[in-house]
Amino acid sequence: MEGKRTRIDIIGDMLSSILDKGGEIKPTHLMYKSNMSHTQMKLYLEDLIAKEFVRKIRKGNYEYITISDKGCSFLQKLKEVKEFEEAFGL
Amino acid sequence: MVQVIYSPKWFYGGDIIIDLVSIFVLLSIALFSLRSYKIRKNRNYIYLAVSFIVLAGSFLFRILTNFTVYYNILETRDLGFVNLTYQTIKASDALFIVGFFVYRLLNLLGLYMLYSIYNKQPKSNIFLIVYLIFVSTTFNKLTYHVFHLTSFTLLALITRQYFKNYSKNRKKVTKFIGYSFGVVASSEIFFELVTVTTRFYVVAEIVQLIGYTLLLGAFFMVLRYGREKDKD
Repeated sequence: MEGKRTRIDIIGDMLSSILDKGGEIKPTHLMYKSNMSHTQMKLYLEDLIAKEFVRKIRKGNYEYITISDKGCSFLQKLKEVKEFEEAFGL
Repeated sequence: MVQVIYSPKWFYGGDIIIDLVSIFVLLSIALFSLRSYKIRKNRNYIYLAVSFIVLAGSFLFRILTNFTVYYNILETRDLGFVNLTYQTIKASDALFIVGFFVYRLLNLLGLYMLYSIYNKQPKSNIFLIVYLIFVSTTFNKLTYHVFHLTSFTLLALITRQYFKNYSKNRKKVTKFIGYSFGVVASSEIFFELVTVTTRFYVVAEIVQLIGYTLLLGAFFMVLRYGREKDKD
């Protein structure tokens, strides 16, 4: 069984979920796909917006979360780091 | 008088280039590990980086020592003054002793640090091992052989650890890292045989180069797999 997710794991899961959906996702979908509570997601989302990893956009009546270039490159770095951690058994 | 040089004359400088490559590989991985720590906040990244930096530092001392000794010997041979040559060799002896002492000490400490990442040590053990490393590189008539044997043992244990990790995660990269440390470990056997013929010094250096090149290859594999995952 996987251990408890760290903060950085959750951020990674959120960014991956957005990217899997072609770069934009509805907030509720993001919440389900990242296995988070509403309060938890609100906090993380504020953090990601402040870091300019994601943006909130409005399309008609719906609100979407889109991943920025900065968010994409951070996700790539995170995947490299995870691969490094697993490879070296850290 | 101590034996100043193990390298055959035609290989002077070759070992310096090989050590420079080893330093490049070790520092590249160490820098990546330090950058990774900023993201993951896992202390093992720091330990890995420090152990690789200490190992790179040990090679730097070996380069500085070899470079000065080769330079002095070649220069005095050109001048042809017997007395000057004698004095330079004596000075080189002192430099050799200090330079190689630091090289051996840092090398074993770096390997022990790397080994300790995977086999957590109680504080009392750390003090004991550091003391034993210090003693084995200082008060010993067979320092050269003891050093390479200890280095081989630590590298063999590290290699075993990476293969144990591989049996758990089944990652090709981990197996590759295991091979690279295994090759570096085998270079220590050739260093042991240098007293038979100096040609083994060249073989040992080339095997070391292969080992660190494999480690660099494994590092590139890590970066490539990370990027490929991103595309998936």
